[in-house]
Amino acid sequence: MPILLFKDTKKNMEVLKKKAPCKYAVDDQITESVKEAYVTSDKKNFIYRIRLSGVEDFKDTPDVIRKNKGDMKSILVVESCDSIDPVPLSQFRKKGKRISEFADFIIAELPTVKMVEKPTYVDSLSQDVKDIIELAAKKKLDLPVSIAEKLIRYKKEMTPAKFDELMNRIGEDLKKKFIDPHEAVGIIAAQSIGEPGTQMTMRTFHFAGVREMNVTLGLPRLIEIVDARRIPSTPSMTVYLKPEFEEDEEAVMKVVKELENTTILDVASIVTDIQQMTLTIRPEPARMKERLVNQQDLIDALSKMKGITLMSQENSEITVKPQQESYKRLYQVQEQLKTTTIKGIPGIKRAIARVEPSTKKWIIYTQGSNLRDVLEVDEVDANRTYTNDIIEISSILGIEAARNAIFNEALRTLSEQGLEVDQRHLMLVADMMSFGGSIRAVGRQGISGRKSSVLARAAFEITTKHLLRAGLLGEVDPLTGVAENIIVGQPITLGTGAVNLVYKPASKGQ
Amino acid sequence: MAKFNVLQHELVPEHHVVPKSEEDKVLKELDIAKDLLPKISRSDPAIKALEEIHGPLENGTIIKIVRKSPTMGYSVYYRVITSEVFK
Repeated sequence: MPILLFKDTKKNMEVLKKKAPCKYAVDDQITESVKEAYVTSDKKNFIYRIRLSGVEDFKDTPDVIRKNKGDMKSILVVESCDSIDPVPLSQFRKKGKRISEFADFIIAELPTVKMVEKPTYVDSLSQDVKDIIELAAKKKLDLPVSIAEKLIRYKKEMTPAKFDELMNRIGEDLKKKFIDPHEAVGIIAAQSIGEPGTQMTMRTFHFAGVREMNVTLGLPRLIEIVDARRIPSTPSMTVYLKPEFEEDEEAVMKVVKELENTTILDVASIVTDIQQMTLTIRPEPARMKERLVNQQDLIDALSKMKGITLMSQENSEITVKPQQESYKRLYQVQEQLKTTTIKGIPGIKRAIARVEPSTKKWIIYTQGSNLRDVLEVDEVDANRTYTNDIIEISSILGIEAARNAIFNEALRTLSEQGLEVDQRHLMLVADMMSFGGSIRAVGRQGISGRKSSVLARAAFEITTKHLLRAGLLGEVDPLTGVAENIIVGQPITLGTGAVNLVYKPASKGQ
Repeated sequence: MAKFNVLQHELVPEHHVVPKSEEDKVLKELDIAKDLLPKISRSDPAIKALEEIHGPLENGTIIKIVRKSPTMGYSVYYRVITSEVFK
């Protein structure tokens, strides 16, 4: 039986509680088989349970209580409404089943977007470009779009025969530009990135033009990217807002405050009274005002904490006492209080909004990163917002997004230093790092340390470990790579060394 | 159950499921065995999003990825779904 889950204000629910049984109009189309509903007033817990005796189509009669002023679609005939112990949204279960298994209708804080695939890029190309690519395909030519676009003009100006000749020439030229079979692309890429790397500033903690915000740049950042660190040394996010809020300074500032993680220590000082075994929280009005926090927020945050008793409240000072009377516990609670979140998103230490001078649009930069939660904020444009934490991207947006992120970040780091590296080298690195379906570091722990050949691994780092292990396990080295063939003194498997020529004598008859 | 569509994100390129009937054609074109293709985890957010559209996807399904490339305009890449992904 379907159960209705939705979000509503506390105020509405209190009215329902008093007036039940009554009729309640909601703005969603609801099926008639619904007999039970759970309501949440915030984003986290279900706190009301409603029993329904029926569902009707919406008719505007005076006895109906409306959810809000907008368009109403259905009327819930409410039998009773009562408060229940808060059930966390994530753990909401009914008879051992999870939400998704029984509720065919969910409007609570789980508004699902319909998953649609991206419009295919090929479709967005103009017909002219497609024609040219098709023409090239007939000549067994894989023409890049960028070249096809340039050719449109010539196609119109030239006679078909001349254009055909042009295509042939382009084909020849393109073939020359291809990398040769069995070319050692990896070593070329390594050199091409490594050499400019020597010219990068060793340690730059560069101010990215924003106050109090610094981002690791230069060589340390590049190392961080290829090492695939779990957490970068300066995680930061670039948050874009939905177009309708982008130019509205007020809305932007609201989002900034919503994002910024405010802990108790940010707005108050904590004083420990060892004799009384109590902790006193002294709010500082100026800082409270700056962070848009009021006394009630503070109390709400405190009352959610476990293991403490709120004692008294005098002149905005709040005294709390650990439930267990021990010095150890007192110390623990003090430490816990310091990091208790009053509002904001965990992990976001600071958020700063900056207006883009050319477009007059606001962009929020943050210190600290929490992609998952930030994308859930209503005003945030979830399609453009990104972070510089590549591992986080790979877990939230997928491996392909992470591959793009590696490429973008590496390219940006290099070009910020005024170094020009061919993009294809970076693409190779990004592709290699994401090859196995998760992000692998370049180096001992990652790509190089996981080569199939024992000798290649031994030649790279920690020789004895690899040789010993190979001996113990009886590993076989087929000598297919480069390093192992150099070690044993054979021609390497590159270029002509990778091809085996077999002479096939002509048979007698020919 | 996400509030945003992973597939619509700027960083995420197009993902398409290659139908079983076309798999051989793709593999022949690339001249490669299926298990040598680059991998994509079953629990990858993009795969989960695709599953919401196409229903459950088996291991071994080939995913065609059309990337925007600064040098080529667009480029086609293939990945195969596996549950064993190096962590």
